Amino acid sequence: MWKWIQAFASPKNFYQISSKIIPWFLYPFIIITLVGLYWGLVIAPADYQQGESYRIMYIHVPAAWMSMFVYVVLAVSGAIGLIWQIKLANVVAKVSAPIGASFTFLALVTGAVWGKPMWGTWWVWDARLTSELILLFLYLAYMSLNNAFDNPKTAAKASSILAIVGLINIPIIHYSVTWWNTLHQGASVSSIEKISQPAIHSDMLMPLLLMGIAFKLLYGALMLMRARDEVLIQEQNTGWVKKIIMEKG
Amino acid sequence: MTLAEYFSFLPYGKYAFYIWFSYLTAFIVIANLFIRTRVIHKKILKQLRIKYSRN
Repeated sequence: MWKWIQAFASPKNFYQISSKIIPWFLYPFIIITLVGLYWGLVIAPADYQQGESYRIMYIHVPAAWMSMFVYVVLAVSGAIGLIWQIKLANVVAKVSAPIGASFTFLALVTGAVWGKPMWGTWWVWDARLTSELILLFLYLAYMSLNNAFDNPKTAAKASSILAIVGLINIPIIHYSVTWWNTLHQGASVSSIEKISQPAIHSDMLMPLLLMGIAFKLLYGALMLMRARDEVLIQEQNTGWVKKIIMEKG
Repeated sequence: MTLAEYFSFLPYGKYAFYIWFSYLTAFIVIANLFIRTRVIHKKILKQLRIKYSRN
């Protein structure tokens, strides 16, 4: 396993393998998204309390899940890069940041749009909303710090430390609805136990899970596409990159 | 007339504006991610091609 990871972590192997596996993320993403959207927007019934407005959930909840998931990937990759000096880990962290920031932005905007008809306001300084906003600032701070240094090693080191420190915000976001009295509703699907006995009907739950899978595939595809480009920049003085570029030429 | 009433001719009645606005935002954000990825990819290939052809 370790040998396989080491082989995959070599920039040349990563470039070749990722080029082959990107379509395996991209095409299932398109298919699952279409099925999830059709199920969520057409088949799923209206909610007895929230009416039709709950359909925003099929974008909002997967985006919020991904905002936290991508941050964990970013911080863990940063830590791996920091401890084991694996260049590819720093690449994964760097390219994940704008994708994670986009998911966080999407979760905040769709949350505000959902909040207006349900709570009567676009925004409240609620524990869940505020901690999610802090997550967006953490992503922006990570990207700024990563671009602030000329030396990529120093940039990776400084931004990784920030990412690791910021990891404390993830359990705060997740448990904010339990720890504090908030306007935001509690988790309906957060564990295996809750998936087997969910608080929502299966016709509403299935499209949510499908959209969750679709967003993960989307992240996988975008991350690999961007990481491949970053590898080309970092390895531009090597023969194999020159060969690839000239062949594409 | 509120925005919600204005968009009530779309499916989902008085919630049409909120729902379609959310999905439109999602589409723009995801499309932007793909377009930027593609633009960066082309830019990098061009830069490297120029660099190697100079050498």
